[in-house]
Amino acid sequence: MAGTIGAADSGPTTGRVLVAMSGGVDSSVAAALLVEQGYDVVGATMKLFCYGDDVPDRPCCSLDSINDARRVCERLGVPHYVLNLESSFGHDVVDNFVQEYARGRTPIPCVRCNTFTKFRDLLRKADAVDAEWIATGHYARASGGALYRGLDPNKDQTYFLWGIDRSVVRRMLLPVGHLTKAETRARARALGLQVVADKVESQDICFVPDGDHAKVIARRLGPDAPSLTRGPVVLADGRVVGEHAGFARFTIGQRRGLPGGFSEPMYVVAIRPEERAVVIGPRDELLGRGVVAREVNWLADPVLPGTQVTVQIRHRARPARAEVVRLEGDEIELALDEPVAAIAPGQSLVLYDGDRVLGGGFIEGSRATTPRRASLPVLGAA
Amino acid sequence: MCPPPIYLDHAATTPVRPEVLEAMEPFLGPRFGNPSSLHRWGREARAALDEARERVAHALGANADEVCFTSCGTEGDNLAVLGAWRARRGTGRRAVVTTPIEHKAVLGVAHQAAREGAEERFLEVDANGIVTAESFDALVRDDVAVCSVMWVNNEIGVVQPVPELAAKAAERGVVFHTDAVQAFGKVPVDAASQRFDALTISGHKIGAPKGIGALYIRRGTVIEPLMHGGSQDRGRRPGTENVAFAVALARAAELAVAEREAECARLGALRDRLEAELLARIPDSVVHGRGAPRAPHILNISVPGTDSESLLLALDLAGVAASSGSACQSGSVTPSHVLAALGVPYDLSAAAVRMSLGSLTTEASVDRVAQLFPALIQKARRLAGATT
Repeated sequence: MAGTIGAADSGPTTGRVLVAMSGGVDSSVAAALLVEQGYDVVGATMKLFCYGDDVPDRPCCSLDSINDARRVCERLGVPHYVLNLESSFGHDVVDNFVQEYARGRTPIPCVRCNTFTKFRDLLRKADAVDAEWIATGHYARASGGALYRGLDPNKDQTYFLWGIDRSVVRRMLLPVGHLTKAETRARARALGLQVVADKVESQDICFVPDGDHAKVIARRLGPDAPSLTRGPVVLADGRVVGEHAGFARFTIGQRRGLPGGFSEPMYVVAIRPEERAVVIGPRDELLGRGVVAREVNWLADPVLPGTQVTVQIRHRARPARAEVVRLEGDEIELALDEPVAAIAPGQSLVLYDGDRVLGGGFIEGSRATTPRRASLPVLGAA
Repeated sequence: MCPPPIYLDHAATTPVRPEVLEAMEPFLGPRFGNPSSLHRWGREARAALDEARERVAHALGANADEVCFTSCGTEGDNLAVLGAWRARRGTGRRAVVTTPIEHKAVLGVAHQAAREGAEERFLEVDANGIVTAESFDALVRDDVAVCSVMWVNNEIGVVQPVPELAAKAAERGVVFHTDAVQAFGKVPVDAASQRFDALTISGHKIGAPKGIGALYIRRGTVIEPLMHGGSQDRGRRPGTENVAFAVALARAAELAVAEREAECARLGALRDRLEAELLARIPDSVVHGRGAPRAPHILNISVPGTDSESLLLALDLAGVAASSGSACQSGSVTPSHVLAALGVPYDLSAAAVRMSLGSLTTEASVDRVAQLFPALIQKARRLAGATT
């Protein structure tokens, strides 16, 4: 992989592009760069949930952010629209988010938003306005129909992008994917986009006010939903060592909110929704030597068992070396070269070949012992 | 090159007319006085304000003291409905009656009255959006404080039989308000011969600037003010009067009345021409409210298998400004409560496009849209076919 991958070489620098604009600095600079490159830019902000008067201002997706995106477009001299994707986002992303917690998992709504909302529903709007391209402010690079990590390792967002349809990658423009965050801010200032240049970065999930996801669950499922009600904190052998206020408040690897009095640090190592139990254990119980993922999607040709890849099991986690041991339908299993801590069901497993995203899936579970590749030959595998 | 853009959203707002701008200009400059001041600047402003009030009154068939200047249509609706409810709630008249197809200004204020203890009642509308006589007779009884029915619906243009409804309400001692923001200049409005007690108009729909409107309040109708302070406008609406804009509204209202018949004939012919063309080219399209009397400037059309949002974007990018009729603060398209109340299926209401004609509309512009719209529809349907 040469270092020349960038937005500009993925196609002719003309044509109409629909730019998904959050009102933040990344997508604003993306739009500005595309204008500079000669594209016919149309800005669009997705309205994804209701902005009542009582919703506190959010760094992303708030009404102010819509206004910021509109102002940036005005400044760039391009049209801007607010697209109402509330009902499909509610169904595809928020409902799933709540259901995943109810199943004792740790969901990753940004993946589903990219897969369904941005690169499917928004893409249809792009079709409707004859836009050949769709652009976002993601730190990732698309080239020749393949997706690569953003050049800034601290900002790379490919972990959230594995789920999109492979054919869509050819239509993606990711103009900030070869910049660092600092460079993006500098470009914003140079382009006169003061409105957004120094905006605080959004860290939380856009529809979760104050990062309190239990509130969102309570609103959808009621405050007495099983995942929000009391249950036991247990050890792996079943001994009850305490009580918790709802397993949806816990994630694998968490230490906060656990009972004390143990000789070594304890972590959440499993959640058993059927017993409402949060299982805790010492660090070595947190380690996985194998990982299983489902709903696998490929952005490259599927890799066959025996292939060495690098994987990432959490946003910003260090990539780990692994070998594919099983691929059946949309389920994949990998053996990890070194144990990896805190593999959380519901999070994404993303497979890479160097910087290139091969595909990914949603983590179903981990294995404490290294899985072995079935000895059967894979002859005839398509 | 690009043909000139076409503005088909006059129901949203209109440009300020040159005559209006000319009339108001002196009051932004040399004649800047505060009408409450005793000196000559104040007297001059006061005279202009009083004259503007008389001229608006004349345009409405009203007395000058029955005209209260407001900042917008929403304020007029609020002052009328909430003001009448608050003034009468101690009298045993506990109900506020309105229709499900009102502008949000009236719906919001009816909800507020309900929070203050009113019983909120909604009149039934038929499939064309016309209030049924049966539900009016059933709901507008002598326990009602105020009833508000919009004269011309802003989304679909249907005209309610306001003079008849107002007369019936008067018999039952009910204060009758009508939001005439879309009606004024399109239907004959005459407070002298029609029995409404309060009527809202808005300047920017008729060629005056945004930020001015008026509420007609019949003599003898008690309305509690929303704001408290000075004694301006008989205490009904304290706050330094916007003299320049009041003058603008007076001029625009006079012009609207003087030109009403001719302009309605012109717009009606253009609207009918556009409607006929679109129905001919897109045979399965549905024009909402078509079976009822409609104001001449509004055409609301749905094409099955399309969605308003995508159509409006494509229209805008092709240089045509239209609307879905309902939008939220963010500017995004939201499902229409009006079409829902008419019983229009969701898929069809989610495809609605409102085109509203006005001073900028010409035969050439209508003909271009009659060509362009069906082409966009064809493309939208091709895409919809490809993804399902």
